[in-house]
This record gives sequence, structure tokens and C-alpha cells, in this order.
Amino acid sequence: MDEDILTTLKILIIGESGVGKSSLLLRFTDDTFDPELAATIGVDFKVKTISVDGNKAKLAIWDTAGQERFRTLTPSYYRGAQGVILVYDVTRRDTFAKLDNWLTELETYCTRNDIVKMLVGNKIDKENREVDRNEGLKFARKHSMLFIEASAKTCDGVQCAFEELVEKIIQTPGLWESESQNRGVKLSNHEEGYRGGCGGYCSML
Amino acid sequence: MAAESQKPWRKGTRRPESEEPLQCVGQQLAEPGKFAYAALWGISLASLFPGPEDSSYRTEVIERLVKWLELSEAVLPAMLAFAGGLGGEGTDTFVQILLKEPALSENPKNITQDLVAFSLKDGSYDARLRVLLAHVTWLLRIPPVELEAAEERLLECLNEEEEEESETAEASRKKKERRRRLKRYLLIGLATVGGGTVIGLTGGLAAPLVAAGAAAIIGSAGAAALGSVAGIAVMASLFGAAGAGLTGYKMKKRVGAIEEFEFLPLTEGKQLHITVAITGWLSTGKFGSFTAPWSSLLHSKEQYCLAWESKYLMELGNALDSLWNGLVNMVAQEALKYTVLAGIVTALTWPASLLTVASVIDNPWGVCLHRSAEVGKHLAQILLSRQQGRRPVTLIGFSLGARVIYFCLREMAKEKDCKGIIEDVVLLGAPVEGDAKSWKPFTKVVAGKIINGYCRGDWLLSFVYRTSSVQLSVAGLQPVTLDDRRMVNVDLSSVVSGHLDYMKQMDTILKAVGVKTKQCRLEEGGTLAVLSNKTAESQAVALHDDAPAEPSMRQEEDEDTVHIAPWSWEPVPSQELCPGDSAQGLGSELRENSQAQEQQNRPGQEEPFTTDASDSSHHSQTTDHATCAIDPLSPSSR
Repeated sequence: MDEDILTTLKILIIGESGVGKSSLLLRFTDDTFDPELAATIGVDFKVKTISVDGNKAKLAIWDTAGQERFRTLTPSYYRGAQGVILVYDVTRRDTFAKLDNWLTELETYCTRNDIVKMLVGNKIDKENREVDRNEGLKFARKHSMLFIEASAKTCDGVQCAFEELVEKIIQTPGLWESESQNRGVKLSNHEEGYRGGCGGYCSML
Repeated sequence: MAAESQKPWRKGTRRPESEEPLQCVGQQLAEPGKFAYAALWGISLASLFPGPEDSSYRTEVIERLVKWLELSEAVLPAMLAFAGGLGGEGTDTFVQILLKEPALSENPKNITQDLVAFSLKDGSYDARLRVLLAHVTWLLRIPPVELEAAEERLLECLNEEEEEESETAEASRKKKERRRRLKRYLLIGLATVGGGTVIGLTGGLAAPLVAAGAAAIIGSAGAAALGSVAGIAVMASLFGAAGAGLTGYKMKKRVGAIEEFEFLPLTEGKQLHITVAITGWLSTGKFGSFTAPWSSLLHSKEQYCLAWESKYLMELGNALDSLWNGLVNMVAQEALKYTVLAGIVTALTWPASLLTVASVIDNPWGVCLHRSAEVGKHLAQILLSRQQGRRPVTLIGFSLGARVIYFCLREMAKEKDCKGIIEDVVLLGAPVEGDAKSWKPFTKVVAGKIINGYCRGDWLLSFVYRTSSVQLSVAGLQPVTLDDRRMVNVDLSSVVSGHLDYMKQMDTILKAVGVKTKQCRLEEGGTLAVLSNKTAESQAVALHDDAPAEPSMRQEEDEDTVHIAPWSWEPVPSQELCPGDSAQGLGSELRENSQAQEQQNRPGQEEPFTTDASDSSHHSQTTDHATCAIDPLSPSSR
């Protein structure tokens, strides 16, 4: 079973408190939704194997706590992550405004500079939207991130968000191929090429 | 790093009265702190017990810890991920967070009390937990002394009788009050198990400890009685568990081929971990008893020496002595030349004159070889049945004593519930197979370290193994190439010039392999003494015991030197001995060795090596693992 798994990827989910990080993860891994989900303590961890373009990848997903009091713990998870999902709540502008802070923190603690970033605007099922889709798209493009809007409640875009991210990571060989599983030649400017063209927008809706 | 951080703790050990470290420190922490705390345990578990066979143990510890810290069960997946080897990158962050906690920022060592209390809360002290504890305290940059002090405090407050008279009334009242609260806190775990089960669980040597604890449960009337040996017996009969412990262990009938098997106490104290030392042979004079070589050993305050088959060990000792004392003097030097140069090359040709006297040694050696294996198996049964109580055991043995340990471990490895009993083992000059495959099962049994102290130039070992072509590698002659964090090989070639030195140089050897001796206890004693007067007392007692014996020992030492002098190893010129091969290291070793010997021969000079530091640095040159050997076990590295 383990043999056909191409690689194990470390994925991190970050964002303000209450934007629905854990709900997104729960929807993705267990396909359930709990409106009363308790706040995460420290960090949550889940494993899921997904198949992208015929490649199987095992995802080790660290779902961080958004609450301020656990903020001190977050730096310890960034290290070694290949992908990060940055979540905001489309019904709360303040969570969108804080994105800059999160990006700064990411820059500070992340050990690789070619980490793949995905911006997710959550809770699009709700009526009282405060952040427009285009705003999110613009922000994502500005910071070379993938972008998607999603709803953990209605299941919209959740699967797609993770798949897009993994696809992108797998397309960036330097990111996930460890020394031990080196497959032939490594093209040094290969990854460079990919860095610039981070425009794989996933158009939902 | 440890050194610079040591000062504040040293100072802090004299506890101000106002300070109340009595509530469960772990539960006082804020949630991020708790999380970091648990995560540190998880990471430590992953690094110490990474094997798939340990996964159930990892889960168990994590689950217990989460409950102890009153953390939400929601953190379990993450904790188990940490314990499974993921997320180890965060160690530093967790340490920082934990040390910034208000409950710890001023006095980081408070956490050790919590660690110990957690480990003991079920009435048993698992060896693996103790190793983990040591690792976590190390991660938190807390000196290992603190861990022992914390254990000491726990033991002390369970033994309420031990009150200091010297203190003023008020101070002692305050102290009592503090003790009582601490005791209540510590007893929570024990009490929940219930007195009966506690004694049943811990049994054996832990009986005094639990007896004192149980006194609180069953009322103070029985408390006085419980402290005494008779009381323990009462407890034992009350609860139907053997409470007599190792010293009380007598072979009821001859077990197999064993004629003698008994535990002799080496030290008086009680501690939450014990050490059992096993002597390799007996010789006449100074080393006529089983306990003699271990006079300086103080790895724990509760130590035992295994007395076994003295008749045969004495015969062996006599054979060794006669072999030693000039009989084959010249030939031996010849042999040494070969062995030092060529290691134990199989094609080694032994001088004919040596072979003629082979029978002197071969017979007793063969007998003892066989018996040590039997004794080892028996020891395994005793340890497995927890006669010593549910607490970690460290085994130390030299020569055939090391062989006893080897067979003990081998026997234990066959059993399912062999884990968590043995903390560390130290095998010195072990006449056993040295290939990694036969040592592999030991990793299952031993929680901490497997230390193999060897000497390349041990001609006696290579001589007695000359005929057995099967055993090409002998552990006492070379490192065991077992790839495991537990395996530590220490090259003792610079300390030991021949097999007999394992007995004569034990003090130096113990220091070299990182086992605590009386001297290093004294050096760190400042901390311990302040923390618990009991410690100081018992140390003082131990030292006093020693003191009168010393002059006579020195005299004998003088005699020894006279005996050895005519044919000692010194005359062998080092230049002649090192033509190139592994030359320089060897040469310097020998030179250092002869220096050491010179110093040693000076009467009254107890310490052949000037500093531990030079010692350890030397070993790190000769062996890769020597430094790590010294790191966790020995105070010299700090």
C-alpha cells in the first residue's frame, strides 16, 4: 500500500481564529461538518492520502490554532512545510485584513522560500459577505498564491483547494523530492521557472 | 550550555520559604504551555523509542500525560503525530514556550517535580519513563541532578518520619505543612490505585516507600511499625505481596546448577532507582569480597552487589593471580605485544610456554563461564518477577559479572513483559560474543544505555578465547557495532592494561564510562545536600564507613605494587609497540597508560587521572561514542 505513494507532504493551515480552518480540514478528511466545532488547542494533525494526476501523495496536515494565545506555538510548525493554506472568512473583513501579518509570519519562519501558498476564502455559503471574490483574487495574485473560495459547510471548493495545492507542489520537484529519493537529474533552473508563473487560479463559481 | 545555566539553579536550590511549588506544576500551566509540555514528551518519545514495537507504549504515555495535564482529548492526534516522529522541528520553540511560563520562568526545575510525580502516579516507575524524564529535563536544560533531587523529595515526603530535628520549631512546622501538601499531591495517583494494589503493584524493594505512603491511607497507628523491616513484612502479609526485596531474596532451593545467589547491600539508602553490581571473580586479599571492587560506586543511593558462586570465582581468582604473578611473566608480555598490535587476530599464535600453563586457567574459567550464564538467567527471573519493586534497575558488571548481565538480558529479551525494568547496563570486559546480532535483542529490554567497555589489549580475554574459533569477536575486546542509540562503546584501553585491572581500577573505569562514583557525588553534592539532608546524611555515613577502611587498603595497595612491580607492564616500551598501524593513538594511549600506572602506584594517590575532562576528551578521540557515553550518565560532562 505504501509503495505506490509518491511522497509525503507537509501541509500547514493558518489564518485568524474562527475562519474555519478546522472545518475545512474536517470536511476534507472526514467529509463532515460540525457547526459547533470547538476551538483548536495548539495544533491538530490529520493524515490523508490523495491522488493527483495518478500520483499518490500522503498529506500530513497540521491545522494550527488561530487563537492569539496559541500564536507562540505556530513557529514550530512552519519548518519543513511544503504547502500552506491561508484561510480567511469572506464574511469578516478583519480576517482578510490580517492576511498581511500571516504572510509576514510565514516569511519569517518558513524554511523554504519556494513553499506553495494557497489562499482560501471560506464561508461563501453565508449571506453577509464582506470581502469580494475579486479582492481575494487580487491579493492572491499580488503575493503569487493560488486562490479559491470555498465553504466547509456546503463542501464547495474544499477538495479542489487541497488538490490544486498538491498538484502545484508535485510540479515543483525541488520542493518534495528529498535527497534519498532523488530521481535522476535535477534541473536547477526548473524550480525557478515555476516560481514566477504562480497563476494557477482555480476558478470556481 | 549546561554550565552557564547551572548557576541560577544552584542558587535556587536553597528554596525560599515563600515559594510553593506544591500544586501540580503541569496543571498550573496555561494551555499553550501544557501543549508545549506534552509535545516535548511526544518528541522525546519519538526520538528515544522510535520502533514500531514501541508504538503502543508511546500511545499509552501520551494518553496518560494528556489526562494528567487536563488537556482536551482533541490534542491527541497532534500529540501522537509528535510521538510518531513528526514535527520534531518544533522542539526549540516548545522549550522556549515552556520556560517562559510564569510557573517556570523563575524556577525551571519546578517542572522536574511534576515530571517525577507524573511518572510515579500509577505506583510504578518504568525504566523507560525515567529515561524519558532525563531526556525531557535535558531538553529543558535542567541539570540531571535536579531530577534525582525531585525523586528524593518525593521519597522524602512519603517517608514523613524522617524529620529534621535540627530545625527551629517554626521552620519545621512550615516545612511539615509544605510536605503534607506536597505529599497529598503526590499521593493522589497512589491513593487512587488504593493501598492494596499499590503494595501489590510495587512490591519488593519499593515496599518501604509505599508503606510510608499507605500509612497515610490506613492511619498513623501502623505508620511506625511500617517503617521497620518487620512492618514491611506485615505489609507484605497484609497485602499478600513479597515485600522483602532483594536482600531478603534467598534461594530457597538450589536452582539449576547454581549454588550461591544472594544480594548484598552496597549502600544503605533508599532510592527510586537501584543499581546492581556484579563482580567478575574473587581474589585473595583486598579484593576478597564481592563488594570490594565497588567501594566507590554511587550510581544510586540504593545499590546491591550480587554474590554468586564464590567458591568457583575464588578458584578463578587464584588461577588468574598465579597466572599473573610472574609465572608467565615473559610470555605474557610477548603476548601483549601481539595483542596490542594485532588486536585479536585469529591467526594469533600463542607462545608454547603459555599454552603449557593453559590448564591453570582454562578449567576454572570454563566452569565460571558456564555458571555465569546460569546465574544470569536466574537474575533475569528475579528481575522479571519484580523482586526489586517496580522501579528502574541499572546493572553494572565486569568480566564474568558482565557475562551474567549478558545472559540476564538475553533471558529477559525472551519474555514479553521485559520492557521498562532495566534502565542502563554497563558491561566491562565482557567475555561474550560481540557481534551486533546477538546484542540486538537487548535494545528491547534496556531503556537507557547499553555500555560496552572494552580493552583492545586484554590478552587474558583473547587467550581464554583462543580455542573457540567461532567467537571471533569478543565484546570485551572490541566495540559492538550495533546501530542503536542505546549502544555505547567505550574504549578503556588507556585505563585498563589487562583483565585484572577491571577489578583494580574500577574507580577510574566507572568514571570513564560515566557511572557515578562517590567522588562525583560529592562534587555535585552542594546541590543535593541542600535539597535533602537525608542525602547528605547517607553520603556522610557512606563516607564514614569508608574512612576507617582506607588506611589499611592503602597498605595493601603498597603491597600490591611490590608484587606487581617486577613484571608490570610499564617496561614495555611504547615505541616498540607502535609500528605504524593505528599507531599514534595507540602509542599515546600506552604512554598515558604507563603514566597512569605510575601515578597509581604512588600510595595514597587515589586518582590516576587529573581531570575528568581530559579523560573524556581522550575517549572521544579513541571512540566515536565515548562522548555520548559520558554525556547523559556522567556529571563530568557538565
